[in-house]
Amino acid sequence: MEWSAFFLQQIINAIFLGSIYSLIALGYTMVYGIIELINFAHGELFTAGAFIGVIVLTALQQAGFVETHFILTMIIVFVLSMAYVAVLGVAVEHVAYRPLRTSSRLSALLSALGMSIFLSNGMMLSQGVSDRPYPQVFGLEGIEFMGARISNGQIFIILLSFALMIGLQLFVHRTRLGKAMRATAQNKTMARILGIDIDQTIRITFMIGPALGAAAGVMVGLQYGAVRFDMGFIFMIKAFAAAILGGIGSIPGAVLGGMIIGTIEVMWAAFLPSAWKDVTTFTVLILVLYLKPAGLLGESDAEARV
Amino acid sequence: MKRVGIVFLCVALILGFQGFAMAKTLKIGTLSPLTGPYAQDGTDILQGVKTAVAVYGPVKGYDSVEVIPGDSACDGGKATMAANKLINSGVNVVVGAYCSSATEPAQIPLMEAKVVQITPASTNERLTAKGYEYFFRMPPRDDVQAWSTVQFLEKKLKAKTMALVDDKQTYTAGLTENITKFAKEKNLVKIVAHEYITPGDSDFTAVLTKLKRIDPDVVYMGVYQPEGSKMIQQARKLGMRSTFLSEDAVFHPKFLEVGGPSAEGVYLTFAQAPDTPERRDFIKTYKQMWNAKAVGSYAYYAYDAGMMALAAIVKAGTTDADSLQKVIRGNTWPGVSGDISFDAKGDRKIAHIVWVVKDGQFVPFWDPLTGKDL
Repeated sequence: MEWSAFFLQQIINAIFLGSIYSLIALGYTMVYGIIELINFAHGELFTAGAFIGVIVLTALQQAGFVETHFILTMIIVFVLSMAYVAVLGVAVEHVAYRPLRTSSRLSALLSALGMSIFLSNGMMLSQGVSDRPYPQVFGLEGIEFMGARISNGQIFIILLSFALMIGLQLFVHRTRLGKAMRATAQNKTMARILGIDIDQTIRITFMIGPALGAAAGVMVGLQYGAVRFDMGFIFMIKAFAAAILGGIGSIPGAVLGGMIIGTIEVMWAAFLPSAWKDVTTFTVLILVLYLKPAGLLGESDAEARV
Repeated sequence: MKRVGIVFLCVALILGFQGFAMAKTLKIGTLSPLTGPYAQDGTDILQGVKTAVAVYGPVKGYDSVEVIPGDSACDGGKATMAANKLINSGVNVVVGAYCSSATEPAQIPLMEAKVVQITPASTNERLTAKGYEYFFRMPPRDDVQAWSTVQFLEKKLKAKTMALVDDKQTYTAGLTENITKFAKEKNLVKIVAHEYITPGDSDFTAVLTKLKRIDPDVVYMGVYQPEGSKMIQQARKLGMRSTFLSEDAVFHPKFLEVGGPSAEGVYLTFAQAPDTPERRDFIKTYKQMWNAKAVGSYAYYAYDAGMMALAAIVKAGTTDADSLQKVIRGNTWPGVSGDISFDAKGDRKIAHIVWVVKDGQFVPFWDPLTGKDL
């Protein structure tokens, strides 16, 4: 393997990992942008999405649907998983966050942690403690170019995650609902005076954020071949770091942060001793926060949020 | 009248407690990861011990046998806490733990409290090198495993270059260290890279790409099953040409289930047990009891540990750790993992063979002791 091919391969690895982190980070950043709460249950919503994906995909595979209607299968799997988790996200907001919206932020934070433990244990009891295999519908085939290799599954996942990110950006900036979200994020009182339904806007945020997380969950399952009830934790930590790094509350920031965290992780392991990979990732996070406390694209005043 | 009632109540309560205290319960504690990434193996171990208690039936001298589960979570701190909790609830013997990094610290309170501990899974050689007389180990040690691995590399695969991957935990780091040591003795196999991953991670493409560029004859996966299953899939997707070799922590039916076609051709080291009627019976009972598709690799050792503990307690006629350890050490016990007898350190006379994954099954491949194909 030539050095150029090696470098290209590592860039592919980094973009892939980065786009997964970005999708999850978007969920954090959107929720924070609108109600200034770190949704600790987000990692579990991501895992729930992965589980719905494996349940639907396994059923479709057993019915022999995957071979005949591949594209349709993928659409069904992603739509069902995202829809389910969107409903779950709204339910979590309704039960755990809405009653505490006017109380101190610490109570809401504790409520979020509690929700995370509740969902995690619920999934452990309903789905078991062990790895659940994901049907390997993409197989091992891929494209070889300049000595580097990208699997069909990776191409699909990278394209889909970029499509979702662009779609989100368009939604927030081009639609009335998106405008309402930005207004709510800037100033809730003023938005309400202008006739924006705050509750509904928050509900929509809690649908979109977790739905993106669910899509990431299905992608992780498709690529890595297995899901487990506690897999949300390690992704949550990395994606949370990505959201903070990019400037929490900023959508382009979350994408940038995810890409940076993914790139550092991969490139460090690629060129330097891999034992230090995680140490470096979080050292970079600390350094960025030290030099630019609001994150790379974050603004200290609320106006630029979302 | 009221006073009489109270007196009656007191008498009833006291008698009740007396009756309670007279019911003699034998308590077997287990230590294994019931939460976290290795919960599958931990559950296998707990279920193995529970199967032993159910199969053994009534124990002479006791009214009932209770299994008290402890969650060691593959974490030193949690394992020590769980061990102390077991000691406080008065366990007579402990089966556990799974990860060597959890067993090592948990040994201290258990040995101080004079409780016989039998590990069904931890293989780091330090555990039996400390002179603890109440500690026994069911699987073979890691230096034995490393020796078998290097024999296989030198004599059978005739590999020239090898890359090691481990996850920096006590078990995996000890194993790769031993392999490095044995490989250097004859210097037939050159270790060209040693890479590290983080337990719980899913993406290993960066490290694997690095190894693909080096292109060693053999890649050694010194990891646990969840990471191993994902790593082999990614290696195949990257189109790596190296032969993959792994160890007893990856040797689990889940590796075949999750790895699927990617797992084909992977070599693993694990002890082989003779196919006896008892073993077949155990597999049948276990699958029925726990509604399981396959028996986890460490359930066999856990079952043997449970059966042996019960038999030894009956034979010794006491749960006193000093007499119990003498009885365990002084006898040979039948087991589904082969006959069980211990040396002075508490290790079994048992060694690994090399297995290969073929058509979704672990198939015996090569015996390092005889150097012959199986």
